[in-house]
Amino acid sequence: MPQHIKRLIGVFAIFIVLFLVMRQVLKPSSFGKLGHFRADAIYENTLKPMHYTVADSCTKCHQTVRAEKDKGFHKNLKCEVCHGPGLKHSLYAGQFKGKELPDSLKLYKPGERKDCSVCHQKNAARIKIQFDTINTTMVHQIDVAEHNPPDLKANEPANCIDCHNPHQP
Amino acid sequence: MEDHLQNLYEVLSKVEGYVYPNEIELNWSILIVLYPYITGLVAGAFILASLERIFKIKVLKPTYGIALLTAFSFMLVATMPLVSHLGKPLRAYEIMITPHSSSAMAIFGFVYLWYLMVVLFLEIWFDYRRDMVIWGNESTGVKRFLYKLLSLWTTDISPKAVALDDRIGYIVTVIGIPSAFLLHGYVGFIFGSIKANPWWSTVLMPVIFLFSAMVSGIALVMLIYIVLTKVRKQLIDMECLDTIAKYLLYILLIDFALEGLDQIHRIYVAEESFEALHKLVFGKLFYTLFIYQMLIGTVIPLLTLGTLQFYKPKAQIRKLIYTILPLLVLAGIFFMRWNVVIGGQLFSKSFYGYTTFKTGLIGTEGYLMAAAWLIIPFLILSFLLWLLPPWKKIETSHE
Repeated sequence: MPQHIKRLIGVFAIFIVLFLVMRQVLKPSSFGKLGHFRADAIYENTLKPMHYTVADSCTKCHQTVRAEKDKGFHKNLKCEVCHGPGLKHSLYAGQFKGKELPDSLKLYKPGERKDCSVCHQKNAARIKIQFDTINTTMVHQIDVAEHNPPDLKANEPANCIDCHNPHQP
Repeated sequence: MEDHLQNLYEVLSKVEGYVYPNEIELNWSILIVLYPYITGLVAGAFILASLERIFKIKVLKPTYGIALLTAFSFMLVATMPLVSHLGKPLRAYEIMITPHSSSAMAIFGFVYLWYLMVVLFLEIWFDYRRDMVIWGNESTGVKRFLYKLLSLWTTDISPKAVALDDRIGYIVTVIGIPSAFLLHGYVGFIFGSIKANPWWSTVLMPVIFLFSAMVSGIALVMLIYIVLTKVRKQLIDMECLDTIAKYLLYILLIDFALEGLDQIHRIYVAEESFEALHKLVFGKLFYTLFIYQMLIGTVIPLLTLGTLQFYKPKAQIRKLIYTILPLLVLAGIFFMRWNVVIGGQLFSKSFYGYTTFKTGLIGTEGYLMAAAWLIIPFLILSFLLWLLPPWKKIETSHE
């Protein structure tokens, strides 16, 4: 075999051996323990801060609202859909019973036109939902600009919740 | 208001109709447009080189070395847009050390490595070895060291050894052609195999990518050849340019036919996604698809190149045409990648809504970053052309 072919094979052999060595060194230690992934990834994900709680933890204090909501069209919506993530609130708000809540524990109280229009603004793309066989998934389509428009002279915002109870619309 | 909700309102302003939450932001940005673009340039340039070597089209000789070095320079950078797109670029190697057979991207890593090391590197090495040995003896300093290093301190340039180099180089090129097809067909496969996306999911995708790759690669080499002869103040080989232009016409024609076939099929079948795609094509993709890709990048070059087959103006005018056309073709293919990658993410998979793509000038996914990955291959190519000038090679006939 000519000299230069030998050297070339040598270079490739070094490259392949180097790759195999690097593979052993760089492979994460927990890789393959549970499957074709790094097992530690699961543990690391549990360390991330949580923002959301479960609907039941809202019911612990707000039974009346829950009971009201369960009778209305919004019964399948979780509280946090409108009020935002509430883990902190659900954990600590109980300590402030009868007192003013600190800002960090206050939840968002939507009720303006822009809030309700996130789901209810008339939108051609949502029409399909009206033909859905499950009736409760129907979303009422409102033209927010046309529907009971705010009186600009009176400087009244005319929010949706002035007329509709969001828990039982 | 909580930050989460504030963000939600902000992103919703980018959306029309109904989109799923994970479709609002485009995860595959301009860098992912560059990935098939650059890979395509590699495959195209290599196939042009192999026309001379395997199919013995001798008139293409002046572009053989340029095409190979172009392919190599772009190949070195081909994965960089992907790596720099990653949130954690330093973990990029993990795809190679823990590959899974069901991961299209992991297998691409090996296809890439095969093509870079076994095809391009070996072909260039065997092609230049004798010259590197000779140049190494003639030069001094760093250049001498580089030649010695690259030729692995070999000295054997006997006719027997050179003949062997040539034979192995030939075999590597033969292996290289299916490998080039594999490399770029694979990039098309990565998109074509995404069955949830009706804009991508077509079995024609690998073939379309392959032919558009050849188109862009041939156009690039043509342009580089013209610029290089200009810079070197050499006489341009018009016969070579005419031949490249002829091949460009053929491949562009096939590419156009394939893409047309794909669209006609889509229109005729008119699956449930059709309306959404129809609106996408005439709306958000109108300029990039109809004007840039089809008109500027395909129809004008096709008509011009077609006319040149029947009517040959003066060499000077042809040279001007051959300088401008590759630019148009290269822009057209870029927008073809754009329309595939960005277009495929602009519509909701609910088929009821659209989102918007907007990218900044700076930042890890900005235009400047993309421009850098397009400029760097040219810098590498300049270095390689300085180190391994194809025009200084001792004539071999590749018989």
